[in-house]
Amino acid sequence: MSAAKVKMREKKMRNQPASVQYPSSQGSGQEGGDTPSTGATGGDGPSDIHRSTDRQKKHHHRSGWVRGHQRDGGSYDKEMPKYITGGAFAKARAAEVSAMLKAVTKTTGSSHVFGALPKHMRRRAMSHNTKRLPRRLRDVANRLREKSLQAGSKKKKEQAKCKSRKARRRHGNLLLEFNRRQRKNVWLETHIWHAKRFHMVKKWGYCLGDRPTYKCYRPSYRAMSTHCLLQDLSYYCCIELQGEEDKLLASLSQLTSKEAGPTFAAVLCTSGKRQGSVVVYRAGLYPSQPLGPVTFLWRPRTQGSTHRQLWIWAHPTNKQDLLAELQSVCQCTEAIVPPLVPAATTAETGPTPEPETRPEKTPEATRLPGTKRKRNCKDAGEPPAKKILGDGTRSPTCPVTWRSNSTGIVINDLTMEIVRYRLIGPQSHSVLAETFEAATDCDERNKSQTSSLWWPEHCKDESKMNLHRQQADVFHILKDIYSTGELPAGTVLGLAVDDPRLTLPTKKVKALPSVKQTQEVDEAEEEKRRELMLRGVPEHCCQSSLWDQSVRDNVTNNKMSEQSVFLAICVLQELNRMKSEVLVPGSRLSSTPPQGRVPVLLVHQPGKQVGHEMSSWGAGWDLLLPKGWGMAFWVPLVYRGVRIGGLNMSLKHSQNKGIPHFPHDYPDCPAGVCFEEEQEAELLNKFKRRPPAKRTNYIKHGCLAPFRCPWQQLAEEWELIAMQTTTRTDTLTEEETTSRPDDGVAKPQSRFTVLRNRKSLRLLSDWCRPTTSKGQRRCRVGQAPPLDSSAARQFLAEHGTSVVWVRLSLPSKGKPELHAAVCVPVAEDLRLLNKKLDGGGPQEPLHKNHFKSRIKRKKKGAKKAATSSDKTDGKESDLPNLTTSTENPKSSSESSADLIFGLWPDPLPSVTSHCSRVTLGWVTQGDFSLSAGCGEALGFVSVAGLLNTLLDQPAEHRGVVLLRNPASLQYRLAKINIEV
Amino acid sequence: MVRVKSRYLLCEVNVSDRSRLLLLDDRAVATAVRAAVARTHGDYGSALCTIGFSVKYLNAHTGIVFLRFPKRSYKLLWSALPFITSVESRGQKIPCSLNCLHVGGTIRTCQKFLIRYNTQQLHLMLPQCKNEGKEEKQQVRKAILNCSLPGGNKEAFEDELEIEEDEEE
Repeated sequence: MSAAKVKMREKKMRNQPASVQYPSSQGSGQEGGDTPSTGATGGDGPSDIHRSTDRQKKHHHRSGWVRGHQRDGGSYDKEMPKYITGGAFAKARAAEVSAMLKAVTKTTGSSHVFGALPKHMRRRAMSHNTKRLPRRLRDVANRLREKSLQAGSKKKKEQAKCKSRKARRRHGNLLLEFNRRQRKNVWLETHIWHAKRFHMVKKWGYCLGDRPTYKCYRPSYRAMSTHCLLQDLSYYCCIELQGEEDKLLASLSQLTSKEAGPTFAAVLCTSGKRQGSVVVYRAGLYPSQPLGPVTFLWRPRTQGSTHRQLWIWAHPTNKQDLLAELQSVCQCTEAIVPPLVPAATTAETGPTPEPETRPEKTPEATRLPGTKRKRNCKDAGEPPAKKILGDGTRSPTCPVTWRSNSTGIVINDLTMEIVRYRLIGPQSHSVLAETFEAATDCDERNKSQTSSLWWPEHCKDESKMNLHRQQADVFHILKDIYSTGELPAGTVLGLAVDDPRLTLPTKKVKALPSVKQTQEVDEAEEEKRRELMLRGVPEHCCQSSLWDQSVRDNVTNNKMSEQSVFLAICVLQELNRMKSEVLVPGSRLSSTPPQGRVPVLLVHQPGKQVGHEMSSWGAGWDLLLPKGWGMAFWVPLVYRGVRIGGLNMSLKHSQNKGIPHFPHDYPDCPAGVCFEEEQEAELLNKFKRRPPAKRTNYIKHGCLAPFRCPWQQLAEEWELIAMQTTTRTDTLTEEETTSRPDDGVAKPQSRFTVLRNRKSLRLLSDWCRPTTSKGQRRCRVGQAPPLDSSAARQFLAEHGTSVVWVRLSLPSKGKPELHAAVCVPVAEDLRLLNKKLDGGGPQEPLHKNHFKSRIKRKKKGAKKAATSSDKTDGKESDLPNLTTSTENPKSSSESSADLIFGLWPDPLPSVTSHCSRVTLGWVTQGDFSLSAGCGEALGFVSVAGLLNTLLDQPAEHRGVVLLRNPASLQYRLAKINIEV
Repeated sequence: MVRVKSRYLLCEVNVSDRSRLLLLDDRAVATAVRAAVARTHGDYGSALCTIGFSVKYLNAHTGIVFLRFPKRSYKLLWSALPFITSVESRGQKIPCSLNCLHVGGTIRTCQKFLIRYNTQQLHLMLPQCKNEGKEEKQQVRKAILNCSLPGGNKEAFEDELEIEEDEEE
């Protein structure tokens, strides 16, 4: 019988009288104990009896006799009496009677009130209304109920509800509440739309949609590869630089290096025709200390002016670093606080006191309700609370503009000033073409009179209108293009469009391309189309009014009917009313209201450029809008049948495209380091939530760091190994003198770097390819120096402590996971590859968990053992020269305070030689790639390790490595690709 | 409801020497009953005796025994009880006989009967106590009072119950 059953039974038998007898051990000494023989005496019944007697004996030993007798005063001795008196007999009888009485009056079973009631008399409502209970049980039930009520009130405090739901949902109050809630994490303009449909995460100071609540992993992928996926990327920060072109370029050149590819000064980009992307480094420190990737866009030149404007788009995690760096290189130290900044919001905040004097962060967010109500009564037309546009968390006193006295460069922080949507997929241009209509001309009468709106003013300028017509032409041609990927990467197109809400379809429709008339299209059209596809948008068409701060503010403030931007519902109602006046619903309005023109900028995003399959997969357009217009464009886009993706999908997008994703794949950037720490904490938490028996035992799997990648240690260890091997060969070839000093120079360089040097990457990429696989690559290999030890040594002298970003594809089975180890195959593994490709790879032998005993010891609460040197010795296998370096018995015993079962405690042993195959690096992203149809992983490997491996491998098997997931012992063969 | 039905026999152990009653043991009683059944009814009887037979309660002071028999065969087993002449317990043979006072379908009815029976017995005892002077009489009276005042007892039980409830929470 289990313990629980015994307990139940004890509870049940609580009131039943136990047998009253003298314990046999104290009798005249017949047999030792009675318990061992009880089982033999019979079936179920007797043993129960004996249990009860045992129980009683326990009582007996403690305090004397059975309950009844105890009450009488316990006058019996433990010894058996010699004689019996009548009085004692009477007492025994009385005790028995009382015991029986107790047994009879008390019900068996649970003592709960309802348990006392037969089943057929129980009613559910009795627990609420005790009067439904029989009277004899009412008192007890009342007492129980009070007790439970008290306990409940103790736990949850009564929430003070000051306002009714109706009051809370009133528009002004709702806005106040919204503003309060985004004091810490900024909301994007599409936040409420997303919050209804997405799992939201608070990241980087924003509330962002991570993934939809509905299942759409594959549909989203399909949308990316056949139709269109929409993302809100407004959280990307824009930094504007203005100044003379040469000065700007001179300052910016410190941040980048030509070795890592085109810089800010690339000719195509400076013309404003293309968007460029670079990895920015701290000023003058090129190979070390990168900040992160940015994309940038130059404003096209205006005639006769060298004054240029540049937008740099950065991820929010590295924006602050970048801004500081930009300020230092441009010598922009003079902050400009003045009215330029809150220009968009001052109109409404006028009556309230100056922002400087207020302690709150945003004037709108925390306006006192009293004052607001007053304003409400005073002016019904004015909105009660202002919706936050732009960055809500920034304090109004915080400067956003910096000017340099010496160079005249102005840096402007445009965070949240521009809405950025990303459309991914071959049909994204069709979606855009269907959603937008190039802005229509103004009426003649509007042209004559001056207007506060930007469009009528714009219309007056004939040259601008000419430009607009040309842009509209280009946009029309765009419709005829088959796929977005056909356009040159990074093309920019400026445009002014009508308010897309005016053409909102009544039902969701799927935007489809209109390619059918390609045959009957005339030659000129065809020619234009080809021109567009080959050369991209002509330079002058890249101009847009979106670059002008004044136009942006004008558009934002004059969004549709009133200044009230948030009242989108009202706007839509108004639009509907206007539509209903038109005869056919949904048809174009004859005259659009003058406010409904918005300058937008379309930026083409390149698709997959690496690898052989699915080239230009995932190409798309970025749509830049002035702030405040987010929802006005979002909903019409959604109504064109696009899928919406979150952060999760953008990760998958870059993974499928085979490009590194920020900040996941930038372990050398501060943001990447920060991200890795966060990820480790998160994974560790998740791991610890499982009971120890259900956790993966990573020690046994030989996985040293399943939740993070010790890149630094890896790079250092490989450098050491490489040095040893080179010296070994050098003794033979006596080239020591040339290479050793270089190594000595490279050594003090403490931090590992990610290799981004184009030339070196190209070289490595050539070396990685098996030389005999395909003929056409032969010629390229011929250009590069062939891989031999001297070339490798030269390479290593430059990039000894670097890691390189690689793409690994698994030709056969296997789905790589996060932090899977990339290992070097031994010779027999390659033989295995020769025999059959689809077979599973080699297996890692199971490791021994030397920490088990230590954890046990810790559990017992015994003192920490001072010595544990023998625990860690047996681990090291292959490279004996490394074993001594990292092992330190003392430190390992110190760390045993935070031992977690199944995880290697902190000072890790040699990461490279821990397993039977030598580790080269780890995977930072890995999944089954839907675009390639096999497992694909992205990760980093040590350059030194890679070169060493390549040198050892036969030519036809160059670039073959093994992959092993952290929770598995199975190695899988994979192919390394390095793309430039 | 479907359940295993049994009969509970409330028996009194009659002994010539009352002090030897204290030697009694529930296992001893059970073996004695089994032996008697085997003697009178043979293998069939002892087989019947193995299932559902148990000594539920034994009070060595008063010599009260609850025997449980399966309802199907309790009459047969009951018929063997008069043949018990002695109980072997703790190495001593106690000459005794079992006198069945009550047959009940549940322990509860037996307990109820026992309460009634015991009070009755105490009342019978009271007038007989005269030779030993006041002391014994006093004790018997006290005992009667103790068991005939269920109200007082009940309160005590309630207190106990509450304590136990608190412990459970």
